[in-house]
Amino acid sequence: MSAFDVVLQQIVNGLALGMMYALLALGFTMVYGIIELINFSHFSVFMTGTFVGLVVLNLMGVTAGGRSLTGLPLIGTLAVLFVVTMAVTGVLGVLIERVCLRSLRNVSGSAPMITTIGVAFILINAMLLTWGPQTQRFPQLLPNWRWALGAAEITFKQVVLFVVGFVLMFALSHLVRRTTLGKSMRATAQDADAARMMGIDVDRVIVLTFFLGSALAGAGSLFFGLYYGFTGYYIGYTTGLRAFTSAVLGGIGSIPGAVVGGLFIGLTQSLGGQLLGVKWTDVIIFSILIVVMVFRPNGLLGARLPQKA
Amino acid sequence: MRLPGLERWRALPVTRRRQILTPVLLAIGLVFPFVTSNAGNVDAAANAFTYVLLALGLNIVVGFAGLLDLGYAAFFAIGAYGYGIAASGHLKLEWSNLWVPLEWAGQVSRLVVPGQPDTVQFHFAFWPMLAVTAIVCAVFGALFGAPTLRLRGDYLAIVTLGFGEIVPVVARNWEALTNGAQGLGGIRTPKLFGFDFGFSPYPYYFLGLGLVAAAVWISIRLQESRLGRAWMAIREDELAAGAMGVNPVHYKLMAFAMGAAVGGLGGTFYVAKLTTATPDMFTFPVSVMVLVMVVLGGLGSIRGVVMAALFVAFLQSVILQDLTEYVHALGRLVGSETLQRVELITSLELIFGLILVLMMIFRREGLWPAVRRVAALTREQQDAAPARGGAVRLSWAPAARAGGPNRPLLEIQGLRKHFGGVAAAQDITLTIQAGELVSVIGPNGSGKTTLFNLITGLVPADAGSIRLNGNEIGGLPPHEIVTRGVARTFQNIRLFNNLSVTENLLVGEHARLEAGVLGAIFRPPHVRREERRAVEDALEVVELFGNRLAPRLEHPVSGLSYANRRRTEIARALMTRPTLLLLDEPTAGMNPAETLELMDLLRALPGLGITVILIEHKLDVVMDVSDRVVVLDHGVKIAEGAPAHVRSDDRVIEAYMGRRRRVPA
Amino acid sequence: MKATGGVLLDFRDVHTYYGSLHVLKGVSYEIREGEIVSLLGGNASGKSTTMKTILGLVRPTEGTVTFRGQPIHGLRTNEIVKRGIAPVPEGRRVFPRMTILENLEMGRFTRRSEPGWDAELDRVFGLFPLLRERRHQQAGTLSGGEQQMLAIGRALMTRPSLLCMDEPSMGLAPRLVEDVFDIIRAINEQGTTIFVIEQNVNMALSIADRGYVLQMGEVVLAGSAQELVENPLIQKAYLGGA
Repeated sequence: MSAFDVVLQQIVNGLALGMMYALLALGFTMVYGIIELINFSHFSVFMTGTFVGLVVLNLMGVTAGGRSLTGLPLIGTLAVLFVVTMAVTGVLGVLIERVCLRSLRNVSGSAPMITTIGVAFILINAMLLTWGPQTQRFPQLLPNWRWALGAAEITFKQVVLFVVGFVLMFALSHLVRRTTLGKSMRATAQDADAARMMGIDVDRVIVLTFFLGSALAGAGSLFFGLYYGFTGYYIGYTTGLRAFTSAVLGGIGSIPGAVVGGLFIGLTQSLGGQLLGVKWTDVIIFSILIVVMVFRPNGLLGARLPQKA
Repeated sequence: MRLPGLERWRALPVTRRRQILTPVLLAIGLVFPFVTSNAGNVDAAANAFTYVLLALGLNIVVGFAGLLDLGYAAFFAIGAYGYGIAASGHLKLEWSNLWVPLEWAGQVSRLVVPGQPDTVQFHFAFWPMLAVTAIVCAVFGALFGAPTLRLRGDYLAIVTLGFGEIVPVVARNWEALTNGAQGLGGIRTPKLFGFDFGFSPYPYYFLGLGLVAAAVWISIRLQESRLGRAWMAIREDELAAGAMGVNPVHYKLMAFAMGAAVGGLGGTFYVAKLTTATPDMFTFPVSVMVLVMVVLGGLGSIRGVVMAALFVAFLQSVILQDLTEYVHALGRLVGSETLQRVELITSLELIFGLILVLMMIFRREGLWPAVRRVAALTREQQDAAPARGGAVRLSWAPAARAGGPNRPLLEIQGLRKHFGGVAAAQDITLTIQAGELVSVIGPNGSGKTTLFNLITGLVPADAGSIRLNGNEIGGLPPHEIVTRGVARTFQNIRLFNNLSVTENLLVGEHARLEAGVLGAIFRPPHVRREERRAVEDALEVVELFGNRLAPRLEHPVSGLSYANRRRTEIARALMTRPTLLLLDEPTAGMNPAETLELMDLLRALPGLGITVILIEHKLDVVMDVSDRVVVLDHGVKIAEGAPAHVRSDDRVIEAYMGRRRRVPA
Repeated sequence: MKATGGVLLDFRDVHTYYGSLHVLKGVSYEIREGEIVSLLGGNASGKSTTMKTILGLVRPTEGTVTFRGQPIHGLRTNEIVKRGIAPVPEGRRVFPRMTILENLEMGRFTRRSEPGWDAELDRVFGLFPLLRERRHQQAGTLSGGEQQMLAIGRALMTRPSLLCMDEPSMGLAPRLVEDVFDIIRAINEQGTTIFVIEQNVNMALSIADRGYVLQMGEVVLAGSAQELVENPLIQKAYLGGA
């Protein structure tokens, strides 16, 4: 393969990865936009989502060693998988908000963020205790079809990622810009007190934001399982770091920013891994995070600087 | 809980309690290894000391200075690898004559391999490395802290987390230096006067005990020093700290450095005992574990943090195993399979998560917070009729020059400031003479507080100059302007809420004290003298307020009445020995009697050589105390002159009450 | 005399504290249907706290606030607003990254399922033609005066029973202030009861029917606008003289 083909391949891979990071970053950034909270537990919800997906698939009789599906059975299985997993992770997110975070709503300082670190640890270890430390295989639902792009290739899995990812983002965008709920969310994010004065039930909006964000994390988690074919209690950590950096890079609180950031980090990971070696990708990504936070906290598309001191 | 001795114990002053406790605790510590029959316990205790060191180190950063560091394990790692690299012989560099003196001293050896250039092999002794790694860690602490200086709480934490992650990744990948994932082995054990510590836990136990004792002592000394007060001021209110002369950049870097140094000690000690160092020992969960210890014990509470660290250490080494035994036994009793298979040690991180969540929701101050033992006011003190301040006298105040105000103290020229589209200051020109009391008045939003913020350097001007005694002060940071003799209070009262009245006042003295780190820790005579003097100054300033503040000196200011909080803020500003005092609505929230009292004090200040600029809304106060009144409206100076003249000025009335409306058609 | 109806809002004996600071010390006033009532006061008088208390952003320690006879002092803001009280907050508080049209839409949030959106929108555009011209412009890019128009228009979208305005003149150039107060009077003539909290005494009393003067958390003067304007004490009370 020529250098161009290698780069092209990495771009395809990077964009596919980027979709996953974007989905994860979206939920994270939505919560930040509304209550200015850095929610560490978001990435553990993501990790939990993969296990939920495993359970759902097992209940449907789809196991890790089984064959891949096509046509109607595939679409049907995917639909059930996504809907159920997203609902469960959504509810998990709501539970976290109600039980742990609501009482801290008016506390200043980092107490809420520290609480989310605690929740993250609880989730990670709950999964570890339930499933053990070994990697779990995730059923390979999607058939291994490939198409050539020059000397590079694009897989069916990647296509599915792109399609489902775009559908979800489009749906979210429509929701946020056109529906009443979406406008309530935007109003609350821009000025919570003024939103109350318009009659918006801000508490309810916050709960719904958590639900949506966590559901998107659930979708992202299924992407991970379907794409990589495995999961483990530890995946929230590295993937979470990348999604977090995506959100910050794009501009924390900004929805288009999360998408742009996610794609960028996906590309960075695959191209960077190609150029410098996989073992340095973490350092690269952390460095991007630090540089953005120190020199341009608004990120690329961020509209406003965080207020809370 | 009513234990008989507890009341008496609590009544003792802190120094006395310490005098009793210290020898007792030391004795227990020294005797313990001989009393326990099981060497395993000694080993567990020795390991626990590492935890305590880490907790004490993080306590300096998070507890004292309020900087949330989520990557503290980085310093643990640097200390560990620092000693590891120096003492394991893994690193191979080319030999040069640089190393000859060290070879002499037995710290390095020359490796001669036929056919290859000679290399130097490190095997530095433990004791000097203890100091070296502490210093190296301090440097890294400042280095990692530097990018966070302008960030607010959550973002600061994330950046520190970033550094905390980069360090183990570097350790894992820079194999020439660290031997990668396999880690360093064969790290040289400490030798004392020929005695090699080897693998017995006993010498490490005593070494650890010594290090912990030193760290506790250092922490206590720091906390009760000028340095500690500066940190706590920054933690409570960084803005106000700057306005009282504390340089936030300097002290934040100090906190990072000191905290890192203690963490480095922990790392060196740990790895000397373990004789290995691998990257997995320093990952994010370790940073979280240290955070758990500090949160559990109480941010800023030395004894809390020590106890919590011991608890966490024993949780890992002893408690969970024992509990697991009980659960197994219960399982056998009840016939439950799952109970018999439970291994509680694997749920350690689950417990950490639960601790964090529960502490944040229910007890953010920690289980053993630094108790501020405050004597309740006696009946007499509570019922005492408030006495106004006595004769207003301050030993340091230069007497007012005879002949009244005669030279310009503050000269403002063409000052301009815009916030977004709003003009907060438009071409303001104003001169304040020394010895005057000038009031600045104007309706809401007229730019009065902005003017104060511009003078004190909180906000940079867009244009114009501000000269104090002929010297330009525009552009200087707030803490430097304080040293030039300008002090202020704030409209919304910005006290250091969790500190006592005395501590708040002593922060005011910060810029005029000199003790640095070494002075704080070792307290040489000149430091003790200046601390005594500072306390005397505080008592003197408190006198100005009669018996209002005097009985409440040790009370945390958060519990004071509104009027007393205002008084404390003014007293704190006076502690900086200003020649120019800016008071922003000092009588707001005070009833008429309290207002009259304060007015007496205000009137007396120019006589003490303190020029006063006052922002006030109570126009009768203004009329009564001012030499001159300046009126602002929408950022413009619309009137200036003697009080009576200004009050009847039409423009002023219109500014407050609005222009008379034209009669509608 | 203008025809006014029964008591719409009754603010009675309210005490409010911020921490240890006693901000409202037994404040009482009432607003009758059809009126324009003005609450006046200088800095630190507590007048903004009054507005926040009505809207439920601050809880009174003692006292009651009743609207159409029903107590509202324990309710949450979004519930209070549903009952027909529309706020024009201090500093306007328009949603900066929403367009004028979207802001107006937010104003109608409590009645969004009811028909009448177009009618109200026309009414608002009738009062503020400038808003119709710029309806797709982001609210954050408007000038202070334009934002004030938007804030008022937004509050009118539900055809409220009571319009509460907190310092509408703040930060506006004098000529603009005149325009705003003209509009306030026009809105009242169309049938909306209006409560104006103001620092600008002369403007406020030029359109109000009745007024109250607040000083240091207490009502020190009350009466018809005419009475207040002619009262020599008002200047003294207002500027803080004893």
